[in-house]
Amino acid sequence: MTTPVLQVDALRRSFGPATVVDGVSLRVDPGETVGLLGPNGAGKTTTISMIAGLLRPDDGSVRIQGVDMAKDPLAAKRHLGLVPQDLAIYPELSARSNLFFFGRLQGMRGTALRRRVAEVLDVVGLTDRATGASKTFSGGMKRRLNIAIGLLHEPRLLILDEPTVGVDPQSRNAILESVEALSGEGMAVLYTTHYMEEAERLCDRIGIMDAGRVIAEGTRDELVEITGGADTVTLVGEGPLDEVEVAVAGIPAVREVRRVAGERRLVMMVQGAPQAISAIVATATGAGMTLRDVETSRPDLESVFLHLTGKALRD
Amino acid sequence: MRTVLAIAWVELRRFLADRSNLFFVLILPLAMVAVIGWQFGSDRSGAPVSVQGPGGAATQALVAGWEDADLAVTVRTTPELVQEDVSRGSAEVGVLLDAEAEAAYRDGIPMELEIISGSSSEAPAVAQVVRAQAEAVATEAAQVGLLETFGDEAEARAALDDASTLVPPAQLLVQQPEDPVAVAFEGVEQFDTGAVAQLLLFVFLSTLNAAPALIKARRDGVVRRTMAAPVTTTQAMAGLTAGRVVIALVQGAYIMLASSLLFGVRWGSLGVALLVLLVFGLVAAGVAMVIGVLVDSEGAASGLAVGGGLVLGAVGGSMVPLEFYSDTLRQVAQLTPHAWANDAMAEVQRQGAGIADVLPQLGVLAAMAVGVLVLGSLLLRRSLARAM
Repeated sequence: MTTPVLQVDALRRSFGPATVVDGVSLRVDPGETVGLLGPNGAGKTTTISMIAGLLRPDDGSVRIQGVDMAKDPLAAKRHLGLVPQDLAIYPELSARSNLFFFGRLQGMRGTALRRRVAEVLDVVGLTDRATGASKTFSGGMKRRLNIAIGLLHEPRLLILDEPTVGVDPQSRNAILESVEALSGEGMAVLYTTHYMEEAERLCDRIGIMDAGRVIAEGTRDELVEITGGADTVTLVGEGPLDEVEVAVAGIPAVREVRRVAGERRLVMMVQGAPQAISAIVATATGAGMTLRDVETSRPDLESVFLHLTGKALRD
Repeated sequence: MRTVLAIAWVELRRFLADRSNLFFVLILPLAMVAVIGWQFGSDRSGAPVSVQGPGGAATQALVAGWEDADLAVTVRTTPELVQEDVSRGSAEVGVLLDAEAEAAYRDGIPMELEIISGSSSEAPAVAQVVRAQAEAVATEAAQVGLLETFGDEAEARAALDDASTLVPPAQLLVQQPEDPVAVAFEGVEQFDTGAVAQLLLFVFLSTLNAAPALIKARRDGVVRRTMAAPVTTTQAMAGLTAGRVVIALVQGAYIMLASSLLFGVRWGSLGVALLVLLVFGLVAAGVAMVIGVLVDSEGAASGLAVGGGLVLGAVGGSMVPLEFYSDTLRQVAQLTPHAWANDAMAEVQRQGAGIADVLPQLGVLAAMAVGVLVLGSLLLRRSLARAM
């Protein structure tokens, strides 16, 4: 059996009376990309903080490349590259200076450090901008530098915490391609996001988090199977949505109906949406809803999350 | 050690990247030394001096000399009147001559004057002028006395040379049981006191500038990233502190050198002065770390750093010399690092103190530094769990 690069067992952490992470277990093998998908506040970043040795768990254990983080944090951290959600760079310094600094913190020196800095600058496409102050970079370039720092010392495990927040589509695509390439090279990647499409595209396995717990884990197909293959139908419009919700729930093909908080939108899990859609629309309009838009989609992680929690990912 | 140096080097580079820091570190402190020096000792003209003596040649010559030095001299008939002038503040300095002083002046031998210094901040400097002028008058009298004992010009010239080199200056006795201030400032030149006070004030303020810088690093996630590397909290704190202490030492050395060259400030033993500055800088860096970890807003931290630095400086003798404080205020001042550093620097500067002489002050400063640095280290670890 392969030794996992990351083994997390029953991690638990509370802040005062609030339990933020409640018994999270994870395993990431070499060359594998595992996603943690969940809405903001689900406990993803706290979990990452404990895995990275920044926060002491109340209970549970973290082993990176077989090294227990609690017993030998410095040795465990040598195998770890962290790309935090914040742009964790010194804006006053150039890309090259940032890389040299964080490389030195990893114990890198001399020729090896210089060579590796040149390599990662090339990987993230910043070679031409290596000497300019990074505060002059676009958001996407800063994100790429953020990732380059995490890759610098060629860690066995790369943790990316929401690395695409606030970047333009072009830069986001470049970042996702970089992550795909890394796992292709054998690096283990733990990727947290609240973007369903990113998790579906990148991750071999996905853990869905809500309220501090991993409520489901598996491949994309395994997770979708949980919904029983139901499609998602979304109705957007005005009217007495509480009454409409009750009315459409009575249609046999409709399994669940939820209102998206703060929006004039009803989301429902429907068995065989193409056949049921006309009945749904008729029922909704009959109940007084003025429809602005109707969306249908095949089963995906969003519908899994809705099925498991009764909430949309963006809630 | 390399990790600590790497963190310290980045702190230095960040500091230098902000050009406005150079103004506060290099230009403003020297400007303040100049302004305070000029206020403290530039123009003594018209300073009131009260004199009582037998009215002989010595009295007349000294009064004439002091008037030549633009002092406003009042001749009194009794020593009690002179004492009264000084205690009421109508004279900065009082001078008493007796018959023996008159005789010594006549004979060209050392004479004794009694100088009573007032309690105002101007008094020590006026006393310096009185003393210097008295020495000049007494020396001239001795020279004249020697010249009169020789007949021809060659002998007279030789005697003049002898007088210039051999005749000791007038011996002055400063009366001070009631006035420790005058003793404390004995020999202090125009810019000396202000230079020490401003050095400590600005080094502390500059070092506290680390607080908003640390908050920015925390907010940007750089601290979290640093701590996710194989770096201990102690190493991180040591690096952050070292960077700031180096800046403090460079700033201190610059102020010492520039004030010495431009204003003739004497610093005593440079090594001991820098050692005091090093330990003082460690306290300031520790305070900066504590503020930088406890406060989440850069603006609030900047305000706290400047306000707190000025208050500590004011209480600790960097605006008004500690020697002018009441006993109660002096005890309060000893809660500040500035008071201990000012005390130590004063001893080094005015009395040529060595390390052994300022060990008590260094010990207290070192204890303060350890306290705030340990506290900062613990708080930094806790802050990683706190979202900003």
